[in-house]
Amino acid sequence: MSATVEAWKCAKICAAMFVLFAMGLGLYWTFSAEYGDGLEVTMEHAGVSEGESAYSAPLGYGENYLASFAMGAVGFGAVAALAFLVMEFLKRRK
Amino acid sequence: MHIPDGLMHPAVAAAGAVIAIGGIALALKRINGKISEDKIPTMALLSGGLFIAQMLNFPVGGGTTGHLIGAALACAIAGPMAAMIIMTTILVIQCLLFGDGGITALGLNVLNMAVIGTVVAWSGSVFSQKSKIGILIGAWLSVFAAAGACAAELAISNAINPSYGITAKISVPAMLGYHAIIGIGEAAITVAVVSYLQKVSPKIFINGKPKEAKA
Repeated sequence: MSATVEAWKCAKICAAMFVLFAMGLGLYWTFSAEYGDGLEVTMEHAGVSEGESAYSAPLGYGENYLASFAMGAVGFGAVAALAFLVMEFLKRRK
Repeated sequence: MHIPDGLMHPAVAAAGAVIAIGGIALALKRINGKISEDKIPTMALLSGGLFIAQMLNFPVGGGTTGHLIGAALACAIAGPMAAMIIMTTILVIQCLLFGDGGITALGLNVLNMAVIGTVVAWSGSVFSQKSKIGILIGAWLSVFAAAGACAAELAISNAINPSYGITAKISVPAMLGYHAIIGIGEAAITVAVVSYLQKVSPKIFINGKPKEAKA
């Protein structure tokens, strides 16, 4: 019973996060997508370009709204799963 | 603020990695065996939530954008040691799965955002007794300090070998200037989320509910 309540609560929190993410992503693609962040703009000012990557990551953040939303979901799951495993390892032992 | 590969001098990247490993090892040691089982889903959801929040860059003017780092928010909800671990898991997935931040700079990114960001956010809130004003100041300072560390790393790299990093004359004012503004967004979002959670789910604060702000 308690586990079901907890699972339902987690599902509601996830749903709320993804609704906010969907809205925020809309604003991101409308206002921010073409601009760099603080470090990227600093590099641009200094005439420094990004060097070749030493590692090729399997995924990216997506080139459009839907792809970004999908990548957000993948990343959310991956980060939550990794954090869960780490915290399980560190949990209080009886 | 994710540092890409090849920007920093290898010695700076290595030194950063060593310090970051030290910080994370200390955090792991401090919280090992102290996390209660019922708080683990909260921490996992917080980690995932911060990941998607970091994807949302907001414009800060002058063709620059910034995003939430989340160290202060993680700190307010889970405490500094758990926050360091949460931030590190986010940075590891961003680097390994999405190529956000170079693999050779992962140590520096962990140092700046997970270790320095968290410690500074926590110091800010501790000095004002975990009030919302303290969280606000801590959140702004966490971004400013992380940017300051990044600017210093750029300057040191450039001083060792001019083909790396960015001279201090450019890196320090630019990084601190942009992130002073980005930090306002971080502080506003952090306090808004903390205030909302205080109202709807006060039990979520693993490390004790923050106090109401005094007028």
